[in-house]
Amino acid sequence: MGNKQTIFTDEQLDAYQDCTFFTRKEILRLHGRYHELAPHLVPMDYTNEPDVKVPLSLIVNMPELKENPFRDRIVESFSEDGLGNLSFNDFVDMFSVLSEMAPRELKAIYAFKIYDFNVDNYICKEDLEKTLNKLTKEELTPEEVNLVCEKAIEEADLDGDSKLSFADFENMISRAPDFLSTFHIRI
Amino acid sequence: MSLVRETTSLTQPLTSSKRHKSVRKSSRKIYKPYQDNPVSSDDEDKDAERVDSNDPEEMFQNIQYQKEIIANIRTRPWPMRRKLKVLKQAREIVLKYEGRLTRTRGYQAAGADLLKKISRVLYNILVLFIPWEMRIKKIESHFGSGVASYFIFLRWLFGINIVLTIMTGAFIVLPELLAGAPFGTTRSKTIPKDQIASAQDLDTIWSLGGYLQYSVLFYGYYGNVRKIGRAGYRLPLAYFLVGMAVFAYSFFTLLRKMAKNSRLSLSSASSENYTFCWRIFCAWDYLIGNPEAAESKGAAIVNNIREAIVEEQEKKKEISLAVLISLRILANILVLLSLAGSIYIIYFVVDRSQKLEQQKAELTLWEKNEVSVVVSLITMIAPSAFELVAQLEMYHPRTSLRFQLARVLVLYLGNLYSLIIALLDKVNSMSSEITGNWSDSTSYLATISQPAETNLSTIVPEITDGRNGTFTITVMDLNRTTISVQHSIMSGPSVPVLTGANQSVLYEYNSKSKQDQCWETYVGQEMLKLSIIDMIFTVASILLIDFIRGLVVRYLSDCCCWDLESKFPEYGEFKIAENVLHLIYNQGMIWMGAFFSPCLPAFNVMKLIGLMYLRSWAVLTCNVPHQQVFRASRSNNFYLAMLLFMLFLCMLPTIFAIVRYRPSQHCGPFSGQEKIYDIISETIEKDFPVWFSKVMGYITSPVVVLPALLLLFMLIYYLQSIARSLKFTNNQLRMQLQTERTDDKKKVFQLAAARLQPPEGGEQKPEQESDITSMESPARSASPPHRNGTVNKILSPGRHSNSIRTITQSASRPEDRSPSILVRPKHSSAYRIFSSPSVPQREIHRVEYIPVRHPAYSCRSKSYHHMAYSPSVRFSESVHSDPVFRKGLRPMHQEPGIVTAQSYLGRRAHPTRYVILNEHEPRKKIMRSTMRLPRHYRVVDEPTEIVELYPRNVKCYIPRSQQPHLSEEEEENEANSGGKHGSLGHSHRPKSLSDLHQRSPARFYIGETRDSRLARRVYGEEEEEDYLQWEEESPRSRSRTNIKVSETPHRHGELHVKPKNKRKGDPSLTESDSASLESSSDQQNSSTDQYIQVIHNKEKYLKHNTKMTKKKSKTRAELNEAGSKDLVCSNV
Repeated sequence: MGNKQTIFTDEQLDAYQDCTFFTRKEILRLHGRYHELAPHLVPMDYTNEPDVKVPLSLIVNMPELKENPFRDRIVESFSEDGLGNLSFNDFVDMFSVLSEMAPRELKAIYAFKIYDFNVDNYICKEDLEKTLNKLTKEELTPEEVNLVCEKAIEEADLDGDSKLSFADFENMISRAPDFLSTFHIRI
Repeated sequence: MSLVRETTSLTQPLTSSKRHKSVRKSSRKIYKPYQDNPVSSDDEDKDAERVDSNDPEEMFQNIQYQKEIIANIRTRPWPMRRKLKVLKQAREIVLKYEGRLTRTRGYQAAGADLLKKISRVLYNILVLFIPWEMRIKKIESHFGSGVASYFIFLRWLFGINIVLTIMTGAFIVLPELLAGAPFGTTRSKTIPKDQIASAQDLDTIWSLGGYLQYSVLFYGYYGNVRKIGRAGYRLPLAYFLVGMAVFAYSFFTLLRKMAKNSRLSLSSASSENYTFCWRIFCAWDYLIGNPEAAESKGAAIVNNIREAIVEEQEKKKEISLAVLISLRILANILVLLSLAGSIYIIYFVVDRSQKLEQQKAELTLWEKNEVSVVVSLITMIAPSAFELVAQLEMYHPRTSLRFQLARVLVLYLGNLYSLIIALLDKVNSMSSEITGNWSDSTSYLATISQPAETNLSTIVPEITDGRNGTFTITVMDLNRTTISVQHSIMSGPSVPVLTGANQSVLYEYNSKSKQDQCWETYVGQEMLKLSIIDMIFTVASILLIDFIRGLVVRYLSDCCCWDLESKFPEYGEFKIAENVLHLIYNQGMIWMGAFFSPCLPAFNVMKLIGLMYLRSWAVLTCNVPHQQVFRASRSNNFYLAMLLFMLFLCMLPTIFAIVRYRPSQHCGPFSGQEKIYDIISETIEKDFPVWFSKVMGYITSPVVVLPALLLLFMLIYYLQSIARSLKFTNNQLRMQLQTERTDDKKKVFQLAAARLQPPEGGEQKPEQESDITSMESPARSASPPHRNGTVNKILSPGRHSNSIRTITQSASRPEDRSPSILVRPKHSSAYRIFSSPSVPQREIHRVEYIPVRHPAYSCRSKSYHHMAYSPSVRFSESVHSDPVFRKGLRPMHQEPGIVTAQSYLGRRAHPTRYVILNEHEPRKKIMRSTMRLPRHYRVVDEPTEIVELYPRNVKCYIPRSQQPHLSEEEEENEANSGGKHGSLGHSHRPKSLSDLHQRSPARFYIGETRDSRLARRVYGEEEEEDYLQWEEESPRSRSRTNIKVSETPHRHGELHVKPKNKRKGDPSLTESDSASLESSSDQQNSSTDQYIQVIHNKEKYLKHNTKMTKKKSKTRAELNEAGSKDLVCSNV
């Protein structure tokens, strides 16, 4: 316990616990994981809040993310600069949102961000195609992809602009039975 | 304060925080840092900063607000840094201002803080005790949430069993061990002499005989002393209560868990709504972290999507239905047969074991365990057989999975039930033997000693009083004839004295027979045995089917002629559903046997632990994920529902046995009682004061019980009816959502159609179109008087004039002679009706008149393909038929609310949302009615697909709302109203009517541009734009004059008509109607417009009245000049 205390002060841990869905132990473990990613970059002592960011290329190699087809997007959408460089805060934030305890609404917001590849606040057809191709590793033919995208937009698009706004997306995702159970990463 | 430091990345916060530190105590300045910190862009921050007032109430509220922020900050979608900062600020504010509040509040806050901290610490500790977290996580990352759900379920069951174990252990087993009579002191706690030799043999122990049988494991061991120990622990009572509490607790937890789950899952409606979206956005399981699993998941997703595509493209090609049906029938027959077979086998085996027991002294190992082995074998083999059979049926995989689950569940239940029934049957025969103590013991002897059998059985019954003597004789007789029994008796320590011999022998025999007769122990033994054997089989199947197979496939695939890994044996799949069912079955056994064997839950705990490790190891080493992904989240409650079902069905036999059978007379805590539950009444009688037992007597008397039951029924009925009504409203809401959705979709199609339409419409019937539009537009755009005027101007053809007539008539209907006065009443009436704020009204109007116009439109220009819609045609037809129309018209006039309703009905499609928000009461009612008739308005909707119309509506409409501004140039309104739809087509407007026709195509384009605006639904913007347009147009007043000039003749002609109308119209509406009906089809259009006008008028009227009174007069004058004075005036 002794060396754990030196990583964060109690206030920091409390604040993190307030801001995330993690327990103290999990936050410490997260720090451990974060440290593992770039031992030379990340200090063990976080009490004075160093400004360290770990680049995307290192983060996506975590076993939790390695197999995820959307790993790049996940990391990017949680990074403050949008390029995928995560500070520890962002890192904690990411796993907090993806944790089991996070409410559906919060998850939906970030899921939307993740699937919005071109960051235009709409999931348009290109986004859908990219999603689909990543999901299926481009095993579907272009015609199939096209069809599926059209169908998906037709299903969920409420305001008729042939792209999915967040409202459309949330409406759709809030009814999905599997969303909560699948959109989560256990760290 | 390190918190503060966390925000170092911002340079300002750093300095501010330092400052803040120093100033901390002088609370006044505490805000400085925030105030000069521009980064805080949140409302929260700003709100926080503003709290400077000393009003305690305000302060308190602010603090509450900040606390709310703190509590909810984790659910905000902000980046962490911002969260931390806001949190810090909120905390500081709370800290700072809380001190200023009253002392008690400070204490409260401190207490709450402390409580929070403690609970957090406790939670942190508690989390440490959640077992297998990492293991499950690992499995999740390999196999996704489906497989993990099995393990989570297992862990949950484990939790339940731990509680059950604690309950039985703490209240039954421990007291008995500590304070009960020690082993060997009483008859029920001693091993019979004849068995003592073999009591330690492995096979005896294995079949739970010997020492195990006479231990705390089973019911029979527990003493029936009412109070044990110095404290006087009432063990029998505790035994009974705990036995019931086990069920109660299980029910309670199960139901609570289910309720929680169902709350979580947000009851999704029909699952087919978002097939593709869900398959895209919810397909990937983010938990997967293993390459193989990822690959198989990817493949599964591709399959899934392809499947969806195929299903979408065509609804299945049928392979000859007859064959399929016969196959399915065959499969079901097979399943039924195997179910019946398994039940028969179990019954047969139990029966056989019973007979064997009676016939043979020494049973082989197989014979002892026959029952449980057979049951376990069946539970293991039958599911696979079902699976094979299911392939015959060729159902959709999901359906077949459901069938499979249902069948397996039935099988398990059948097994358990046939077993317990067979056992109870045996118990039955036992207890019937027990009726006479003697007869049973002798008959037991008799079975052993064949030669003396007849003698004994005949003799013994007779010896009731002088039995000792005779019995000794018979025993001696027996000794001579039989071997084993004789020895045990004669050599037993209690026999040596000859005089006591009789007694002792009697005792021996009694004890032996009675101990054997302890049917509760017997049932408990069977259940425990079954549980053990089941465990062994599970382990064996895991090792053989999964592990060995995995080994073979992996290492022999090289030296085999086909690919073992992908062709025949493959790797074992982890069948979630079957495995979960097995867990449920296992738990069912525990519940069934827990009353008779208090240690069964404890055993189950160990079993589950072992299963957990073994399964997780097997899954990770030698299983591949199941191909058919079983929906995890939904299945959760499905599992629980099955478990609940199981619990209920397993509770029944126990309860039945408790109620039906008499407890064994010489063993167990209830020996000597007539029924097991007598313990309750006995306790009440003896251990409670007299009054209590009296009260209990009253309470249990029918006088109380029956009303109570009745009350319960009433309560249930009440709750159920409430639930039903809630469900009903739920359904309605859902339907509303759905219609809204479909309407939205329809709107999209309309938009698409609109793009195609304009050319056709324009080419085919430009004239008609223009007419219509012209008619409509004035109606819509101008204030009623203007409208009329404009109409006059624009509509040169006779029919148009007719239409105008109708309009005027509508206006004049309620009113007096003079046109100027005419309109006002109408306005007022409209106003009265629509008293809600103008903005909502506006939207409503839009909604309203669109539909009406559409039918009119459709009937006018039949060339439009919309006419193809039968509903629209119908509508138009009705419009055409004059009498009908007239009839319809009148009520409408009288009750504008209905008009709006109908219009609403007619066209609910695109603006629905707003409409719903802004409705008036009457409209609500109407809407409800429409909700009941979705058909109807959907039907009517179709015509609305003439898209060009409503964009214009939007446009036109808004100017109207703007009329205060416009009123200055009301004259223009006339002109504008004529050509307003074409804000683009300024040039057109000045020209004469003929131009209007030409204009029509242009209008279409405008309409389209409007569409986009419509989609935006930003009224404010639109209004502004429109206003601008108006201003633009104002200089063009000269054009208006042109129009006026050109149209005045028409107008005059109309004017002639108008007075007539009025005259006729005044006495009765019908007259006016008839007058208006002079022209058939056009009229209808106009009339429809009229309703609209009625509605509009109020709004305009509103605004005019309020704002522009003085200008009215001016406009009036102008209008008078224009020549359409009367009408215009009437409006003002």
